[in-house]
Amino acid sequence: MKKKFHIDGVKEILLKWHKHADLLDTPDPARVLYGPPPETAAGERGRDLVDFFRQVPLFEDLSQGDLRRLARILHKRTYRDGEYIFEEGKPGMAMYIVRGGIVEIVRRKRNGEEMPLVTLEPPATLEELAVVGADVVHWTSARARGPVSLVAIGRPDLDALGRNFPLLANKILKKLAYIIAMRLQMVLEAEYFNEERSPNNDPPQ
Amino acid sequence: MTPRNDCSPAGTLFKSVVAAAGALLAAYLIWKLRSLIVPVAVSSLMAYICRPLVLRLERHRMPRGLGIWLLLVVFVLAALFIANLVRSIMPTEIGALELKVRAVYKLNEGYKNLMGLDQSRTRGNWIYGLSQGELDPKVYQINRLLALTQEEHTQFLASRPRGPEAPAGSDRLLDYYRVNLQTLRVREPAALSQTGAVRAAPPAVAQTPMPALPIATLGHILSTWIIAPLIFLFLLRDTGEIKGGLLGTVSNRLFEPALAVLADLDSALGDYMRGIFLECSLLGLTVTLLLAIVGVPPRWAIAIGILAGATNVIPYLGSAVALAGGLAYALLADEINPLLPMVNTENVAIWVIAAVGLAELLKNVFYEPLVLGGAVKLHPLVVVIGVVGGGILFDLAGVLLAIPMITVFKVFVSSTARQLKAYGLI
Repeated sequence: MKKKFHIDGVKEILLKWHKHADLLDTPDPARVLYGPPPETAAGERGRDLVDFFRQVPLFEDLSQGDLRRLARILHKRTYRDGEYIFEEGKPGMAMYIVRGGIVEIVRRKRNGEEMPLVTLEPPATLEELAVVGADVVHWTSARARGPVSLVAIGRPDLDALGRNFPLLANKILKKLAYIIAMRLQMVLEAEYFNEERSPNNDPPQ
Repeated sequence: MTPRNDCSPAGTLFKSVVAAAGALLAAYLIWKLRSLIVPVAVSSLMAYICRPLVLRLERHRMPRGLGIWLLLVVFVLAALFIANLVRSIMPTEIGALELKVRAVYKLNEGYKNLMGLDQSRTRGNWIYGLSQGELDPKVYQINRLLALTQEEHTQFLASRPRGPEAPAGSDRLLDYYRVNLQTLRVREPAALSQTGAVRAAPPAVAQTPMPALPIATLGHILSTWIIAPLIFLFLLRDTGEIKGGLLGTVSNRLFEPALAVLADLDSALGDYMRGIFLECSLLGLTVTLLLAIVGVPPRWAIAIGILAGATNVIPYLGSAVALAGGLAYALLADEINPLLPMVNTENVAIWVIAAVGLAELLKNVFYEPLVLGGAVKLHPLVVVIGVVGGGILFDLAGVLLAIPMITVFKVFVSSTARQLKAYGLI
């Protein structure tokens, strides 16, 4: 079976842009697509939501006031071990930020078996597309591995933010667009590097 | 691994029982506290309408608290303006007596002219022949209702500038008063013989004034309405806690559908409330302008416009109030100052009807499509049944809140069904 992510290519791209490039030797390299590992992340450990948001790359351009405003409108959710956060094929209405615990992203194969893609830890973000586009359908499922706490941002929340505080919403949307575009670029370039290095593509001697 | 349910069947059953008990308790509390429904609902809806204004002020660096207080000050000033306007058009004690005298005179003269009555008030044209059995007692009842008490007779006569014995033609209201007395004397025996209620009928002159509003009732109204500004303030202070609290009560698998349903509700209710507020304002303004053009004095036109705009929350009532108010003035007025040269005291009633008709036409053709275009549409039958049913169940509160509640219910049911289906939960 073809692997979902080609790690060597991803590493090279990440070295060019990612400020957490030192994390590339993680045992679960696909995680770097979503955020730094728990050693550098702010978990719940007694910190409030605003302190946590300071560690989230999505919010790194926001001021203290903006973060406080966000903390008031976002939704804290907790999940038990094995509980689904969202399911593949269902409409997407919210994106999530992992605040505590481990989230497993899985995709169902044609035979119904679930294939694990990546595990996410604080402060990774997931399902950003759900708050950006209309009629978004989850293309993977997310499941709690152990107790998990998340912060959810609903699409209506971001819409309301856009109406009432356009500058703040603009900062978040720009960052979202950047993250989504970088992920796409990383995946494409990983595929490209992989093809270049593949023995099948080597020119005949 | 397949998706699993959030909780066991026993847990689901327990939650269902708790939810049903909660719903019953909520229904019981709503019924017992129904006197609070109007102030709570009115202040909540006002807060909902004002929320975008507060947010706009906040966006322009004004602290939220300051913005809310600014709005509250604007509302208090508006309330004071309206109260002052109402007080200025409310007649004095003598003015009320004069209004009664004028109203009785105009009513009797209009009836006399329409029916072609002679001096004895017992013979008239063919219309009178057809309807006298029905209408004579009604007109007599209105005469009795508006008749002055013994004390009021004395007050009225004492208030006349030329004295109670002034010659005919020197004091118009005194002339009206004399004609009214004569009419009552002439009409009383005839009317009573038609109704067959001679023995039961009280004398033509009213003996007791209208009872005053009891202090206890006034105190009750004040005590219930005192919570209105508090609710208004607290709802505007809310920065998402209420929504967060609501979403916090739903299970994880219902979180995203609940987000969508709340967004649909917010959108539908917001569109409807802001739309209806704008439509009422436009109707009130139009009625005011048109009535002023046909000769209703500005302060009366403003009062009728405000009343028409406020009652337009109940469908079809705003124009009816405007018509009733305008016609009442047209029928009672001795003099008018119209902007249109063709309007005079003889035909002002027709012009008032035309003005209110034009306002209703503008509302239906322009205002509604413009300001309520995207809002939820309700079938007229649903509106009528909802308003009447709401009135039966909750009196004025039911009448006022029937349409918003039906709108919320309709959107809630349709959106919930759609979302649950999309998420494969039904």
